[in-house]
Amino acid sequence: MQFIEQEIRRLTPEIWDAMLHLALDPESEVPKTQSRVVSACVYITGAWNGAVALSCDVAFASEAAAIMFNLADATPTTADMQDALGELTNMIGGNVKALLPEPCHLSLPSAVEGADYSVRILRSKVVTQVPFRCGNRSMSVSLLEREERAN
Amino acid sequence: MQTAPAKPPQVDAKLIVPFVNAVRHVLRTMAGWESNVERPRLKQKQGPEYDYSGIIAFSGTLIGTVVVSFHRDLAVKLVAAFVGCELPADTADFADAIGELANLIVGAAKAELGVNASISVPTVIMGKGHIVARPSDIPCIVVPCKTDAGEFAVEVSIKAA
Repeated sequence: MQFIEQEIRRLTPEIWDAMLHLALDPESEVPKTQSRVVSACVYITGAWNGAVALSCDVAFASEAAAIMFNLADATPTTADMQDALGELTNMIGGNVKALLPEPCHLSLPSAVEGADYSVRILRSKVVTQVPFRCGNRSMSVSLLEREERAN
Repeated sequence: MQTAPAKPPQVDAKLIVPFVNAVRHVLRTMAGWESNVERPRLKQKQGPEYDYSGIIAFSGTLIGTVVVSFHRDLAVKLVAAFVGCELPADTADFADAIGELANLIVGAAKAELGVNASISVPTVIMGKGHIVARPSDIPCIVVPCKTDAGEFAVEVSIKAA
């Protein structure tokens, strides 16, 4: 079992249900997508240092933005999708922070959208990665912990 | 009835000047490059798209993010000057160098700001045409930087908590 994996498995679907009224189901493997991807990240600094990252394809982010901002027939913009993913990541990060040693600070979210990009968080290792499925769409939540430098 | 045009968001210049100084200082000391920082401006719309971005978040008494973005050609030359040899642009070492440069710039600015804030480890985005979004409720100030090898940008979106 990965670090606070059970908690992430529990709280992420609760947030999805509360914010989007969508059901998230556990997935066995982290999805590999060929389409454009939206990623969002919040950073935790203090007694524990690392980041919470959320990644999904654009279609999923678009659906989340349309529901969250009540856009009805309007097509969500890239900014809408990034704001929606950022807000969802912020909520997951807030809940994760509550499970970590105090004191910790949570940053505001940053988000990235593109077709073919990679994300590297320096001096950090992935300690938990939890994939989810929502219908035929998939997403993943990752927790990265800062690696201490050797003296 | 006409409505008054929305006022542009107010930005504290004291938060921006340290980043201008930090860019000049870091490029001169770490890469041996002189840089010309143009007048910072309020970012009005999303874009332009870059190939490499180093993102660092503030938390504590200051909140927000700073993004240092490069096009590929400049990034390759700058990293070579920084580490002393040319690195393949699609490697983890190259990404680490971009992240370290961002960390040096933001770290130097934070020191000059003298605030009790934390900065995150750098996140590096590598990929042509990616778009980085910042918190929508914090104005983003673009600090355009020119060097002999090309231009890059430092985008500062921070405010007092």
